[in-house]
Parts: sequence; C-alpha cells; structure tokens
Amino acid sequence: MLRVLAARRTDEVVITTMTATLQWPLVSSHPLDFDFLAFGMGHASDFGLGLALARPERKVVVLKGDGGLLMSLGSLVTMGRYGPPNLLVLLLENRSYEMTGGQPIAPKADFVALARAAGIDKVERIEDLGAFERELPSLLTEPGPRFVVLPVINSEPLPPVAHTDHTERVVRLRRGLGISPP
Amino acid sequence: MNGASAARTVALIEDLGFTDVVSIPDGESRHLHRALLESPEIEVYSPTREGEGIALAAGLWVGGRKPFIILQNTGLMEAGDALRGCGIGPSIPLLLLVGWRGYPGAMSGALPVDSAFPYTEPLIRAWELPHRRLMSDDDLGVIGEMAAVAEGTSKPAAVVYGYGFTP
Repeated sequence: MLRVLAARRTDEVVITTMTATLQWPLVSSHPLDFDFLAFGMGHASDFGLGLALARPERKVVVLKGDGGLLMSLGSLVTMGRYGPPNLLVLLLENRSYEMTGGQPIAPKADFVALARAAGIDKVERIEDLGAFERELPSLLTEPGPRFVVLPVINSEPLPPVAHTDHTERVVRLRRGLGISPP
Repeated sequence: MNGASAARTVALIEDLGFTDVVSIPDGESRHLHRALLESPEIEVYSPTREGEGIALAAGLWVGGRKPFIILQNTGLMEAGDALRGCGIGPSIPLLLLVGWRGYPGAMSGALPVDSAFPYTEPLIRAWELPHRRLMSDDDLGVIGEMAAVAEGTSKPAAVVYGYGFTP
C-alpha cells in the first residue's frame, strides 16, 4: 500500500507516525515527508490539520494507525468541524498497537462510523490494494477533507527505529515548503 | 485586581501579528474568546482537548502561520505530552495563555483551595517555560514580552492569567 502511494505521490506533504515511520522511508525519500514519531501520542492528524489549514494550496496526507486514533478520538470531531479540502487522513487499521508488540485494541470499534458521526462527510473504507490503487488518484486530487480506513496486514519485518532530531525534521519540512527559518 | 480587558488583549494580539488562536474556552476566558471570534484578523479554532490544540497549533506554525494558544491550567496538565513533543522538543515557539484556575479563591483565602491552584507555576517551571503573570491591563505588556522570548529562543513560553478577562 505504501509503495502504491509513494509511486503516485508528487508534491503532497506526507505525515507518518508510529509503524508507518519505519516503513515509509523504505519507499520514499522526499523533502515533504514528515516523521511525526515522538511528537505527541495520537496527534499526527491534529498536526496535519494545522498544516493543511496553513497551506491550503498543498495536499496534506496523514498516515496514522487505529491505535493512535484511539488516543485522540476527539480529533475526528475537530477534523469534521475545521478540516479543509486539502486534508486526507489514511487510517491504517490493523486492530493492534503494532509498534509496541502487537497488543490488540478494541476489536469492534467501527472507525468509519466514528468518523461519520464526528461530522466528516467524505469517509470511506477501502478493502484491498487493487481498490486503493484505483481510487488513489481521486484521493490525492479531489477536495476533502477525506478520511479513509484501510485494513492492513504487515507482511514484512519492521526495520529498527532510527529517527532524526525533532528540530531538524521541522526545519527540513519548512524548507521543503519554502518557509524561511525563523 | 479584576483581570485584563478582552478588547485590549485582542487588539494587542492583532498588533503582535498573531494569525490564529487555538482556544478551548473556560469560564475565565469566555469574554476573551467572544472578542476573538469578532476579530476579522484572527482565525479561531476550538479543538476538543488541549493536547490536540497544541499539535494543531504546531502544524499551523510549521505551515507558516503565527498561532496563539489559550488553555486553562487543567488543560496544560492534560497536554503535557503534546507540549513536549510539539513544542519543546522540536523548538516550536508556541505562546501559551494559561488560565490559572483556583488563583482568585486562593488569594481571597477561600476554602477549600482548588487542587489546580498550587501546581500551576511549579508545573510551568518543571517544563522550563519562561512565563509572566497577567493580572490586569497594567500587565498586558507581558504578552509581547513572552512572544519575543518564544521567538528568540524558539521554544514555548507562557503568560498566566489569574483573574480572567473583562469584556
């Protein structure tokens, strides 16, 4: 799934958190990649919302897990209220805290229903890789905000955690966006 | 002491160039919140919790905006991880306006003392946030002072208000 996204992505900001921060660098090295790991538990899409509001000309894609969403469920309501057209949240649903050893999360939580009930109009569930590949062009170009649930199974071993300095990540992203250092 | 004027505070926030306010209203900030909503120069966002708000503000700043955060001391307690991760750690100069719940009662000797009162400044010091107190219009200059400190150090800074805002 990440390879499909990386192949299609052009100038979108891509924010990753938790397990996706380990996997996304295997398929992408782009000035507008942003590793959110350790920036705040569960808050990747909140950060992405702020960035999307600040840069309406730029698509912002957030890759976050279902465990992370449960840490800040209110984020859905805020996205429903303020989410701009350039925000796309891809929820990687694996029903576990994969990065910490695969501990299970709430098995019955319906993330599509939660997002709709929170006021997000464009919510969908994409069940397989072929459908994701077909729908990705519209996900990246059509106005949102959009919230997409993607059931995923990780079939490859996770690489070790090796992240850059937090400040350097911010400086790099702002440079990629053409914003001068403060 | 009866707090600062909401209208004067908003005018100051506008003059300082803030573009966005992320605010979870509480009883003491309600007049300020209302005045901010009437400002044509400032966008106001009200997330559901303070940690969410700090992350939202960090995204705004990274995207080139100049956000200002209003939260109660209890919200600051909730938002510790976001403050660490989205402010202190990545050197993002967020300015926090922190409502000091419990301060008026404690100053008047009322009992029981609100349990949020005694931890407020110790918590701010524990986070190593530079801060000043705002108790009346005479203190409004501390907002610009702390904004300059945040920008100069590329770290969050705080202004703590004890008596809320008058219209």
